[in-house]
Amino acid sequence: MAHNTSEEHSSEPKEGSLLGWIDRRYPLISTWNAHVAEYYAPKNFNFFYFFGSLALIVLVSQIVTGLWLTMSYKPSAAEAFNSVEYIMRDVQWGWLIRYLHSTGASAFFLVVYLHMTRALLYGSYKEPRELVWLIGMMMFVVLMAEAFMGYLLPWGQMSYWGAQVIISLFGAIPVIGPDLALWVRGDFIISDVTLNRFFALHVIALPLVLIILVFMHIVALHKVGSNNPDGIEIKKYKNEKGIPLDGIPFHPYYTVKDSMGAVFFMILFALVVFYFPEGGGYFIEAPNFEPANPLKTPDHIAPVWYFTPFYAILRAVPDKFLGVVAMGAAIAVLFAMPWLDRCKVRSIRYRGLSYKLLLTMLIVSFVILGWLGTQPSTPLLTKLAQIFTALYFAFFLVLPFTSVNEKTKPVPERVT
Amino acid sequence: MKKLVLLFSLLLVAPLSVNAAGGPSIELEEAGNNLRDKDSLQRGAVLFTNYCMACHSVKYIRYNRIARDVGWTDEEVVEKMSFGQNSVYDYVLTRMPEGVAMDVMGVLPPDISLTSRVKGADYIYTFLRGYYQDEEGKWDNRALVGTSMPNVLEDFQRHATEEDYAEAVRDITNFLEYVGEPSKVERLDLGWKVILFLLVLLLLTYLLKREYWKDIKH
Repeated sequence: MAHNTSEEHSSEPKEGSLLGWIDRRYPLISTWNAHVAEYYAPKNFNFFYFFGSLALIVLVSQIVTGLWLTMSYKPSAAEAFNSVEYIMRDVQWGWLIRYLHSTGASAFFLVVYLHMTRALLYGSYKEPRELVWLIGMMMFVVLMAEAFMGYLLPWGQMSYWGAQVIISLFGAIPVIGPDLALWVRGDFIISDVTLNRFFALHVIALPLVLIILVFMHIVALHKVGSNNPDGIEIKKYKNEKGIPLDGIPFHPYYTVKDSMGAVFFMILFALVVFYFPEGGGYFIEAPNFEPANPLKTPDHIAPVWYFTPFYAILRAVPDKFLGVVAMGAAIAVLFAMPWLDRCKVRSIRYRGLSYKLLLTMLIVSFVILGWLGTQPSTPLLTKLAQIFTALYFAFFLVLPFTSVNEKTKPVPERVT
Repeated sequence: MKKLVLLFSLLLVAPLSVNAAGGPSIELEEAGNNLRDKDSLQRGAVLFTNYCMACHSVKYIRYNRIARDVGWTDEEVVEKMSFGQNSVYDYVLTRMPEGVAMDVMGVLPPDISLTSRVKGADYIYTFLRGYYQDEEGKWDNRALVGTSMPNVLEDFQRHATEEDYAEAVRDITNFLEYVGEPSKVERLDLGWKVILFLLVLLLLTYLLKREYWKDIKH
């Protein structure tokens, strides 16, 4: 298909046209060009580069389905559970909207974890993309808060007791702990007050923050340009017009490619929504079909799968407060990645054996911790959780020392 | 690349193949019920009315919804399930006053709209068939030891063949699984159409991508 990119975009809109009228009052064409039509992305993006656009699609889907859920949901301890069943039964297409939203939460984390894995594989957090990584990490933290608060809203047994366990963690902080937990709950137990404020945060505050951070994430990315699986700068070699030789305009090349990825993702997503909406008890836990009962603790309280790695770290530490510290540190240490990794080579393709082994160890530990977090604790499993917690942190402790003098392979000048 | 796709699909499928929900420790019998069997659902609804509804409600479903899904008219459902006492728009509630239930059984019989979603259809089937009399003649249930619920099907079982009894329990189970998620059949029937549509769209987007990308040299 022929398309003469440069001619099309450099031409000014016609005098009498609507586009021209708008463009004289709003930087429509220049913004479109800067961020889409003339944003040059490396041509060698692989499978892992789908997850950024997929995360955006899931975010939009969550906002739209969430909006429709709020039209029938009632944020009150007396009515919340019933209103969710009302949505599932009496609201037209309510069951579909609810399953899209509940599956979307799990899909969001799956996509985000893979998006972060991509950054670790190809060194996307390294200079000059530190802020892209930091803003992304902030989004991850906000997303966890968003998911946690959203999970209370159906007001099922696991909603209630999951929130009970997590909020009580604040109580473990010395001196201010108990008051802090009280302040978060707004009551001495999880109650109607807690549900109402979680609803407010879930539907207004956190999504707004998330959208602002997404905007900043993309602005920061477009300032420095996208990394790629070879981890090299495509801006090093440009043609006479200043266009990177290995770069292609995001539109149409990546818009059509990401559309294909989005549809592929939607097929997998639809498979879950229509055929495994409970995700085998991992996406919607069975006890959550029982209304919250403050007098009856479920036999086994497990968070939803995307929190289980951190939950396993929490439980691995015998002291409650130190457990909270370890869990917080497990997330916080990721923020420091751009400075912990001191190797100049970005992509794992050209990095030394040490980084390959360390990253494998990190990913394996994370997955195993995730499994351990779903299981009731036994002495053996706790021991395992301690081992893999140690290995998880070992990655960040060892990396600064191994990465400084890493034996790397020669990096190609142009993308492969 | 192939390895990555494999890894990705493993990540996606792995959580689906295991059951995270902690269930009862006994081996459950397979209910073998079929949500598409409307005759079974109708029989189940009538059995539910006669044997369960004296104590239990299914408060999240309305009579007219049941009528629509099991193939009854509005008049039929009210006649068969409430003996003409309710409007079709009413939720399906027991007529037993709470005080009476407390006096008779010492506990409030729970609403069982969502029991199939908490414990599964096989559990309901096993539970209903799980009653036995110990040596002293006291009733108990092997699926839920010490249950306050009497063996309501005792009489039915005594006058029925083993197959008829199993079928009756299966019909009740079927009805309760239906009540747990009334839109389940609709969901299963819509899913493959959505996926088929997306597969066509995938082909089109793939061809579009290939067309645009053919002038990019890798």
